[in-house]
Amino acid sequence: MFFHIVLERNMQLHPRHFGRHLRDNLVSKLMKDVEGTCSGRHGFVVAITGIEDIGKGLIRDGTGFVTFPVKYQCVVCRPFKGEILEAVVTMVNKMGFFAEAGPVQIFVSNHLIPDDMEFQSGDTPNYTTSDGSVKIQKESEVRLKIIGTRVDATEIFCIGTIKDDFLGVINDPAGA
Amino acid sequence: MGDKGGDNFWVASAGGKSSMKTKPRKDDSSGKTKKAKKVQFEYEGATQENIMFSSKSGGKGDLRNGKGDKGSNGPRKTVVKKDTTPLELLVEQELPKNVNCMMDCEAAEILEGIRDQMVLLSADPAIKLPASFDKAFEYAKVSSRFADPQSVMQALQILRKHGAAESEICMIANVCPETTDEVFALVPSLKVKKSRLAEPLKDVLKELAMLKTTKDSPFA
Repeated sequence: MFFHIVLERNMQLHPRHFGRHLRDNLVSKLMKDVEGTCSGRHGFVVAITGIEDIGKGLIRDGTGFVTFPVKYQCVVCRPFKGEILEAVVTMVNKMGFFAEAGPVQIFVSNHLIPDDMEFQSGDTPNYTTSDGSVKIQKESEVRLKIIGTRVDATEIFCIGTIKDDFLGVINDPAGA
Repeated sequence: MGDKGGDNFWVASAGGKSSMKTKPRKDDSSGKTKKAKKVQFEYEGATQENIMFSSKSGGKGDLRNGKGDKGSNGPRKTVVKKDTTPLELLVEQELPKNVNCMMDCEAAEILEGIRDQMVLLSADPAIKLPASFDKAFEYAKVSSRFADPQSVMQALQILRKHGAAESEICMIANVCPETTDEVFALVPSLKVKKSRLAEPLKDVLKELAMLKTTKDSPFA
């Protein structure tokens, strides 16, 4: 899910960036530093939408660098346990399948795929119901529920399930 | 096989945690609780990362409890079916207060604005949008079914008066369910307020269906 949030960060700026464009320099450094990062608490920082406040700078002893406390608004994207989302399948194997919802990676184990869906190997590995009416393969769109998340420095990884009511394939590329 | 074990652990640890959390039912299922806990300990020595994961997991359902048992002592499919404590959204508890949930369609609108702005600014090579921006934008665009976020918000406002949380409202907008049953199945935290919500929800879903743009149009 996407959120709008106000975050704060202490930005260190070298004195050569001071002058008329100090604010611009500060903002572009902030964008470079923050956008694309992710944390467990906030998820991915997708984009900075505005600067709320830039505090008074504090000169660091010995280096000449100045630290500015910057408050900024940004759009973050974070998956939650219990959230329902629509993801695109990226890989299918006998262990389950991987899917992607924006920057978030999701794995759905074969234990969390309905029991009536069987793994079929071949050129395009897939999970298919016995009557062949429903098929999950690469590029399929599935609606799934997040049941666990793990965050590391650069990505968020989730465990999902489609073994529940109203979950499963919404759009099959082969059928389209 | 290694992967499988790891996966089972995740599931097991989450289940163990859940049984600790669901205090009211602890008495009648103490045997199960112990079992789930034991599974957790067995694995806890394995890796640091896994421990971190287990400590982070919040309240959740028996779904995984069953899986946990499965990992330790053979299949027990019946437990999986007994989904008595569905996984609930805890967005409000997990995030700081100065946070506003956004619907995917809102996010798509904002991100599109930012991207257009960046096109103008792109003369400066130092400023570049990260890959996660493109992915998030693409996702927001594809999964948003409404062209006009304001009217969607307006339609959903009624639910707030009846006690639905911001995150629940956003999820309804993102998932765009067709029936009230679908809503209560997908957002189990709303079940508590089912008696109050069922009626207004019907009207809201009708309104959303009208606001919905056909799914193919963004790609046309």
